[in-house]
Amino acid sequence: MTMTLDFAILPRFADALALGLWTTLKLTALCIILGVGLGFLIGLARSSRSALIRAIAGTFVEFFRGTPVLIQLFWIFFCLPLILGVELSNFVSATIALTLYMGAISSETFRSSLKAVGAEQMDACIALGLPRRAQILNVILPQAVLRAIPTLLSNCISLFKESALVSAVGMADLMFIGQNISNNTARPVEVLTAVALIYFTIAFPLTRAVTLIEKRMLRKLAA
Amino acid sequence: MDYILDLGAVTRNMDQLWQGLGVTLLLTLAANAIGIVAGFGLALLVLNRLAIIRIPAMLFVEFFRCTPALIQIVWFFYCVPMLFNVFLDPITMGILALGLNLTAFNAEAYRAAIQGVPREHLDAGIALGLSPAQRILNIVLPQALRNSVPVLLTNGIGIFQQSALVAIVGVADLMYQGKTLATETYRPIETFTVVALIYLAISFPVSQFVGWLERRRGYAVR
Repeated sequence: MTMTLDFAILPRFADALALGLWTTLKLTALCIILGVGLGFLIGLARSSRSALIRAIAGTFVEFFRGTPVLIQLFWIFFCLPLILGVELSNFVSATIALTLYMGAISSETFRSSLKAVGAEQMDACIALGLPRRAQILNVILPQAVLRAIPTLLSNCISLFKESALVSAVGMADLMFIGQNISNNTARPVEVLTAVALIYFTIAFPLTRAVTLIEKRMLRKLAA
Repeated sequence: MDYILDLGAVTRNMDQLWQGLGVTLLLTLAANAIGIVAGFGLALLVLNRLAIIRIPAMLFVEFFRCTPALIQIVWFFYCVPMLFNVFLDPITMGILALGLNLTAFNAEAYRAAIQGVPREHLDAGIALGLSPAQRILNIVLPQALRNSVPVLLTNGIGIFQQSALVAIVGVADLMYQGKTLATETYRPIETFTVVALIYLAISFPVSQFVGWLERRRGYAVR
């Protein structure tokens, strides 16, 4: 081995890394909220009676699931400002890109959980003469959301991991700050390992929690 | 909009994109070759009775599943040469980094499939006097492989998309060539759209095939 490792340098950069982590978490939380809402709407659109709406929603989802998130981000960062004629900050581009990504994967989650709510529930709504709004808001929605929760939580973890991509358009998230420190100190092993461990410390307990929730939910739905 | 679309800038330079696509496909196929073989071995380790074998294997899987693929790739490109004093060409590095990531994800798919092989089949293998290696190779492997095909394919397309990340560490894949072309020609809209469509044209048929496979299997089970 040609170098000596010195993990003692890390505490000096704790504040900077914490700031990066805060940016990562804020961005993730914002895109989760926007993306889940968008995903629900697209999920509904995909089961719409109108073939046109179904086709548009389907194309949207296939496009976002069929291309790398990195190119989606680059497209929004470099191309959208040219089309709209306004400057977009990297925060806005990152938010748009990750929200659309979260919306696309979550719409699939909602679609399958909507499918899992049996057709007889809908028939019952019609038999009871419930208005369309009540059918969706009070009968279908609560059941679909309950079934969707475990997968939605895994989507959130995926989004948290994918958010590292925003470093590529210069947003100062955990990944970006970590790479900067690593380049400036020429100590990639210590710094990048620490950054990876920070991501791991957050994502790992969440994946365990998802497994637990999933098991409990399955038992509840089976009962 | 003041921007006038000119696809000519892209069509004149398609060779550059095809070259990049070649690298992307090489990365994807090689990483899948590693992931499909090593993933099965890793799944066997994860299911091992001995904690000293099982726990490191589980840590490996969880580590790759719970960190961003970007940091795995950056870590690999910066740290492996320093730590182990090995210097490989960037494409080989990319293959190894993506291959290890896919190994972890495929190990999970195999683990679920192996656990789905009925216990009676193994008992039958013991009753027939097959050795442990024979039981794994001839009873567990064929069934696990068959049951995990849809997930392996999904993971395979996943790595095709994740392979775009190597552009960030300077491997000349489709993404990298697209980015270079967009900068050289000042035609980001045309270039990035064409690049995105190339990615879509490859992953869409595969994902449709996986969907078809799963539906067909769903009917077969019923």
